[in-house]
Amino acid sequence: MVWSISGLDVTLDRLLGAPSDAWAILRQMIPPAFARVAARGAVGKVFESVYIAWIGTVIGALLSLPLAFMAAHNVAPIWIRVPIRQLFNAIRAVPELILAVILIPITGLGPWAGTLAIGIHSIGTLGKWATESIESIDSGPIEAVESTGGRWVSSMRWAVFPQVMSTISSYWLFRFEINVRASAVLGMIGAGGVGSELVSHLVFRDFPAASAVLALTVGVVLTIDTVSAAVRRRIITGGVGGDDSSRSAEALSDLTGINHR
Amino acid sequence: MTPTPGQSTRPERPRLRARTVGIAAALMAFSVFAAREVGFDPSTFWEVWSNPLWEKFWPIPWDWVFDSGNVLQPFVETFQIATISTILGCGLALPVSFAMSSLTTPNRPTYLVSRAVMNVVRAVPDLFWAKLMVTAIGIGAFAGAWALTIFSLAVMVKLFSETVDGADPGPLEAARAAGGRHAPSLRTGILPTVFPDYVAHALYVFELNVRASVVLGLVGAGGIGRVLEAQRQFFRFDRVLGMLVIIFVVVWVIEQVSVSLRKRLI
Amino acid sequence: MSSARRPAPSESPKQADEGEPYPDPDTPVIRLEDVSVTYPGGVEALRGIDLTIGDGEFVVIVGLSGAGKSTLLRVLNGLVPATSGSVVVDGTEVVGASAATLRQVRSRIGMIFQTFNLVNRTSVLNNVLMGRLSVVPAWRSTLGLWPAEDREAAMAALERVGIVDKAYVRASNLSGGQQQRVGIARALAQEPGLMLADEPVAALDPVTSRQVMGDLQKINRELGITTLVNLHFLDLAKEYGRRLIGLRDGEMIFDGDIADVDDDTFRDIYGRSITDEDLLAMGDSPTDGSEGG
Repeated sequence: MVWSISGLDVTLDRLLGAPSDAWAILRQMIPPAFARVAARGAVGKVFESVYIAWIGTVIGALLSLPLAFMAAHNVAPIWIRVPIRQLFNAIRAVPELILAVILIPITGLGPWAGTLAIGIHSIGTLGKWATESIESIDSGPIEAVESTGGRWVSSMRWAVFPQVMSTISSYWLFRFEINVRASAVLGMIGAGGVGSELVSHLVFRDFPAASAVLALTVGVVLTIDTVSAAVRRRIITGGVGGDDSSRSAEALSDLTGINHR
Repeated sequence: MTPTPGQSTRPERPRLRARTVGIAAALMAFSVFAAREVGFDPSTFWEVWSNPLWEKFWPIPWDWVFDSGNVLQPFVETFQIATISTILGCGLALPVSFAMSSLTTPNRPTYLVSRAVMNVVRAVPDLFWAKLMVTAIGIGAFAGAWALTIFSLAVMVKLFSETVDGADPGPLEAARAAGGRHAPSLRTGILPTVFPDYVAHALYVFELNVRASVVLGLVGAGGIGRVLEAQRQFFRFDRVLGMLVIIFVVVWVIEQVSVSLRKRLI
Repeated sequence: MSSARRPAPSESPKQADEGEPYPDPDTPVIRLEDVSVTYPGGVEALRGIDLTIGDGEFVVIVGLSGAGKSTLLRVLNGLVPATSGSVVVDGTEVVGASAATLRQVRSRIGMIFQTFNLVNRTSVLNNVLMGRLSVVPAWRSTLGLWPAEDREAAMAALERVGIVDKAYVRASNLSGGQQQRVGIARALAQEPGLMLADEPVAALDPVTSRQVMGDLQKINRELGITTLVNLHFLDLAKEYGRRLIGLRDGEMIFDGDIADVDDDTFRDIYGRSITDEDLLAMGDSPTDGSEGG
């Protein structure tokens, strides 16, 4: 620990100075300048981040699903599944930001680079989760399909698919929640979305505007998290849970993170 | 059992509920719309392969990469950032997680406030924190450390509070029943139970931090990422690729070590 | 995979009233010669089994757990490959058969499982339609575009087991007895010539068990489908069986008419005295739901 601190060039006055600098900035951030920021089209940028995350998740989901089947040990032979599992690991190791860095020279700046970066990275994560899901199923129905003379494809479609789809689609939604944050970040290097707005405000030290952008982003993220959590719960339980009052109570707890015990 | 087939008892085939169809259609429409907004361009998939820019990524200048000043030093810095933020972030996460769990929280207001605050903290994208820190504190590893500390706090709190929620309440009840005050009873009643998980989670957070600090540099917060970004801006993609390879290897090694350590804890 | 319709099983269902002699089959549907099965771990599940079963027979197989009952059934449709020997089902050699041949053979064999092996999250009808997988083109079944005649066959199968009113109900919402009936319907939908039941009632309560066994018996008598049933409970075996096969440690200890079976026979097969656990009515039968469905 001592080694780390010394390496970071921490002098006492820097240590003491940091919080007060931060505090000064924090005070400048209130009240947030929503009107100014909206006029610049920040709201549109926030939506752009959402679109990027959505399409990125869709790409990742669609491409990862067939690959996940080929990577599961109860489904695919070893000479297919080992390379695919390694592929998942390799993709997962590269953060979206780096992917975007690589892609921008090719696709140019803009939202498409961010979408592709998120899409490709999601293939890795979603693929791994889906594979785990597939490997944990009950093999009885697979035996049943075999006993009727069905082929491997039918076994996948009728014995495996129905068992895993609800779990896998809830993973997709969960990944979407994470991707919304990622797409906001990607904007900071010019890959589309609200990040670029935040950066430009900070660079010009326009703190009220920066905090407005921050607040917008947080608001959208929280909303999406809440809705997504509700939908995911519904998918897993496979039906409509409870009446309206209990559903809104659930939504409230998703939003604030507070559980009523 | 009726051996004679009777058409009259067959149920009607249920129609697809209008709501299901509606939702599916809306999702598709939204996707198409979003795709357009985003500039969906399938030809990119093909273009990616044939773009002449790939030549700039090759050959990898290994001599530059292995020159200690260029890569090794920043890596050391990256490790320092990761270490300190893990320690600080996970350290703070311990009391916060306890405050957040209904099992171990001292009182209701603490519980409510900590949960609400953490929820908001987690809603802020991680690199936004980095940029904020950089603006407040200035470019460099110091800012990166602060940003990652907050990030570690958020992740650790999420993981650890779930552990605490699921812990066996028995020993804690016993400690309280024996008249212990809040902090000491936590220490004897629940800490031993959750400690292995705590360390395991902390190792995981360290792993995440090493990966994250790579990326942090892209926004000027120090570590290997800064070098990466610098080279990228000079269009020295060959160096970028070389660094990425090294990073990949290092991250993979850390992951293996971390996984095996964690297995022995659990 | 052929999409042609297979010929229906023998046109004249064998009507067996109380007094008539058991339809003595000349045409062997199943012939095992010196069949042995050794699992990869070294466990010898079957040793040198010789067995002939004729068309339309109703055979009950008993023995301790691990005696080889499940292996014997699975060797017939190739779910477990025989290590040595010859298994001929309906004129086709199963041992060493190609994947396509195996699928062909399996399409004519319906199988019912102790744990039902239904797909819980989908409807009863979809589960039964799985029996038609071998005759419907892969692309149609994968997309769920089942031809009308296959839907008809599935519905008819459901009617025969008496739960057609649950056709669109999610499979997991049924009781155990109902789920097993769906399993039977799935096998029936294949229009099979041979039915294999691997401990079909082990997970059901006594009342439901008798219903399911009764169903199997009626199917055998009315449709003339050769039926092999693994049973754990000896009183059920005596009640419903015609021909009894006893397995012990992978060997066939007994093969004969049920009338010739007495307690000594069972003792030979089980290697010990009969306990309450071996009887359905007395033993600890797991109850899955009060209604027999």
